[in-house]
Amino acid sequence: MALEDYRSDMERCSQCSYCKWIPLDHIKSWRFAKGCPSIAYNNFNSYSARGRFAVALSLLNGESGYTERVRDIVFKCVTCGSCDVSDKICRYNLEPLEMMRELRFTLVEDGQVLPQHMRIIEHLREEDNMMLEPRASRGDWAEGLDVKHIISEPAEVLFYAGCRFSYDKALWPAIRGAVAILKKAGVDIGIMGRDESCCGVRAYDMGFKDEFTRFAQNAIEAWREAGVKTVVTSCADGFHAFMRLSPRLGEHFEVLHTVQYLDRLIKEGTIRFSKSVPMRVTYHDPCRLGRGGEPYVPWEGKEEKLKNQIVIYVPRKPRYNGAWGIYDPPREILKSIPGIELVEMERIREYSWCCGAGGGVREAYPEFSNWTATERVEEAKAIGAEAMVTACGWCERNFLDAIDAASEKMAVFDIIDLVQRAI
Amino acid sequence: MALSRELYQVLEDIVGPENISDDPALLDSYRYPLTHTAIHLGPFYRKYTPRGAAVLLPGSTEEVQAIVKVCNKHMIKFKASSTFWSAMGYPSYDNTIQLDMRRMDKILEIDEKNMFAVIEPYAIGAVLQAEAMKKGLNCHIHGSGSSCSLLASATSFVGPGPDGLFLGLANENMLGIEWVMPNGEVVRTGSLGSGLGWFCGEGPGPGIRSIIRGFQGAMGSMGVFTKIAIKLHPWPGPSQLPVEGIPPAYRTTLPDNFRVYTLAFKTWQGWSDGCHMIWDAGIGYIAHRQFNMFGRDLKGAMIKILTDPTKTLSDMEELLKDPKVQKMTEAMQRDFQIVLAGMTQRDIEWQDKALDKILAETGGYKVEEMNEPEIRDWALLYLIRLGHKNLNLVYGGGYDGCFGMVGPPDFGASHIEEVSDFKREWEKKGAIVTAGGDCTMGGIGFMGGGGLTMWENFTHFDPADRESTEGTYEFFDASYKYGVKHSLGYSLERLMSFARGADGMATSDEEKERWLAGAPQAFMFQYQRKIKELLDPNDLGDQTYRWLKPPKKKKGQDRF
Repeated sequence: MALEDYRSDMERCSQCSYCKWIPLDHIKSWRFAKGCPSIAYNNFNSYSARGRFAVALSLLNGESGYTERVRDIVFKCVTCGSCDVSDKICRYNLEPLEMMRELRFTLVEDGQVLPQHMRIIEHLREEDNMMLEPRASRGDWAEGLDVKHIISEPAEVLFYAGCRFSYDKALWPAIRGAVAILKKAGVDIGIMGRDESCCGVRAYDMGFKDEFTRFAQNAIEAWREAGVKTVVTSCADGFHAFMRLSPRLGEHFEVLHTVQYLDRLIKEGTIRFSKSVPMRVTYHDPCRLGRGGEPYVPWEGKEEKLKNQIVIYVPRKPRYNGAWGIYDPPREILKSIPGIELVEMERIREYSWCCGAGGGVREAYPEFSNWTATERVEEAKAIGAEAMVTACGWCERNFLDAIDAASEKMAVFDIIDLVQRAI
Repeated sequence: MALSRELYQVLEDIVGPENISDDPALLDSYRYPLTHTAIHLGPFYRKYTPRGAAVLLPGSTEEVQAIVKVCNKHMIKFKASSTFWSAMGYPSYDNTIQLDMRRMDKILEIDEKNMFAVIEPYAIGAVLQAEAMKKGLNCHIHGSGSSCSLLASATSFVGPGPDGLFLGLANENMLGIEWVMPNGEVVRTGSLGSGLGWFCGEGPGPGIRSIIRGFQGAMGSMGVFTKIAIKLHPWPGPSQLPVEGIPPAYRTTLPDNFRVYTLAFKTWQGWSDGCHMIWDAGIGYIAHRQFNMFGRDLKGAMIKILTDPTKTLSDMEELLKDPKVQKMTEAMQRDFQIVLAGMTQRDIEWQDKALDKILAETGGYKVEEMNEPEIRDWALLYLIRLGHKNLNLVYGGGYDGCFGMVGPPDFGASHIEEVSDFKREWEKKGAIVTAGGDCTMGGIGFMGGGGLTMWENFTHFDPADRESTEGTYEFFDASYKYGVKHSLGYSLERLMSFARGADGMATSDEEKERWLAGAPQAFMFQYQRKIKELLDPNDLGDQTYRWLKPPKKKKGQDRF
């Protein structure tokens, strides 16, 4: 695809502004009605999906050119997909998130990159991670764990740690715990340790499509050679990459997020809880596990018209509306833990508010990223939650940093942390 | 032409550097594509409303006032908009300063006892409704849907909507106003002007609502409205709408004091009599011919698509062959939707009985297929929240309404087949969606208590398709002429043509005269000219406040 391929989307956008809000049916209050962090923070129309359609069209038509403001408009978006869900309530044929990504690819191709992103991408090219850390220490998180390394010892299930979990020591207990629990449950599991690479999805979201393709192809090749059948990950970004993006390259593995695997084991009775964890918690849906967690459905076809002017796709085009992602397994797990009281925030599931860590925003616009996370913490506080639980290392880190910056008292857990406490 | 750096700095000092921009690409996100406005304009293709000189995001009345004073000092045109739903929210002159009221989005007060709310420009319908429901109240949501500004509709347009029967028109609900006049002075109207609070729009204090609004609202061209109070109405439902389902098939299940029916009639006379009897009986909370906007021939299939999240428009052809869908579509030929809301259990029981009696006397019936729980609960949520309003754009991306036939139900009902035949012939030409000729949508009593119906015949087209947009324009030209020739009354096709030309710019005075001089009450527009000259002496507002130059006085005549 090229940006030009989205011209009809740009021209068909009717500027209704649904993209700025959560689906209007779900609005429960003034305070938590907004869906798009970018327009909520920056306010100008151009920071919404409708505005970005207009900006992209202006660029395509040569009516404006690249400026610092244009780069800001294009890159100050968490690519969370909230606009995509709200748009599709009424407009079946618009793809604002895909257009947004294509717009970034175009800017990167034209050399309109942010220095903050470039620094990370250059490091990624050298060291295979987004964390500005050496490749050699990628496997340190697993030190002391008695687990197979699939390069030397085949395993049916690969546990993919991801960049954030691999290098953020504070989050290591979650992935060490996940491996230990799965192993104890009898799963034939292995890791890649220092041989693991970035999934590439964050580079993709920054506009570096080629980097994503390279890393995805490397991963596919390595897994194929190792005889991997199933990939399990605690990283929502990785889940999105392997579930939704990599299959476009033609190779399919069974991909599960840890919460899906654990939910399955709990329901089978393989995992049993013996301790109570008395806590009032709320669950934050990571964008890449929820909205972005819908499975890829291959499609190749063309646009046609029915009844003169009804736009349809032949053959029938899959419709990603955000609601078929992974929402129930984490909730089922939390409900099954003795003592846990799960309370829901106002914006959940397909209309969840983003943590602010995605789309290269944490790296390039830390203030905006922090504000977005703080908004979510406020939402959790509003329902009296003692803790926020999530299933994504990037979300957890962004919340921890925001809470720390604001000297808040909210606790943050990966769902594995609570499972471990209850076993 | 960009603002001078000195002037830009003056404005930046008012709102702060983060709330002003004159970047060309950013300004282009404040332009409206004219391909979406066949109703108003044409011929067109890839044209937009003019690019502004700068966009400002004021955060308070004081900032708005300061901006307007600067505009007056430097003779710069300005236009304020909130949710920018249609072309009339955008300037029609080059180098206008665009005020985006987005930062002023608060609900300042909900007075439960006196049943009103005080809101800022960017408070949208869905947000106020959600907050009002917590207090057992509800607000009118106008037809453009709950994503739109309530203040903009009340001050600046007509604001009919499905709930008008019980909750009134937007402008009927407007109470006290805080208004930054075109010259930068601040006026507070009604009881607010006497320091007595927001409860009354017409006094004690200055009652100038009609002067401010003019004919059909100021449409963003008479200063800036910064706060208003609007009336709230009883809501006998839960404090929060319980919403379930997979998008777009969201639905709500409400308690037993609510009903939603699709009523249909064997004849248009029965349809019309049904409306009158419903008004006479005083029943109904919402009444609207809603889903017919998808077209007389297509609405059954569309309802099936919209209530099944696995379906898309690509399923339509198959659904149209389904005998059950065909039966449903046939049953809904002459229909409208109604929501009953009982304030007590006895009330809902009485309303139900009254409705059954009305149906028995008019040859009406409840469409069975629309009572299937998933469809019923979807329709109920749709009508109450009006959060799927822009489905009128689902087919090809563009829609506009022709005809209108505002008046008592008998008027529209007696012409509906004739205008449907006319449109059906045009559908055969290919530019617009073939939907059965009749895609009329409108309120069943869109002002408080009933009395009026409206028949906006939706026309669906593809704004990214040149032949479709140009063909739609030709159709609107023809339908406009047909309406004039056959005396079909107030027409929607050229609603804004007096203000904006085919190039998206303001029309010349001569052109405007041509449009407005033939109006049945042209004198009113001459009077509005006097108001305009008095309140906007530097002529800095947009063209959308309608006025005519007074005719030349005859000898010895001291007034026109």
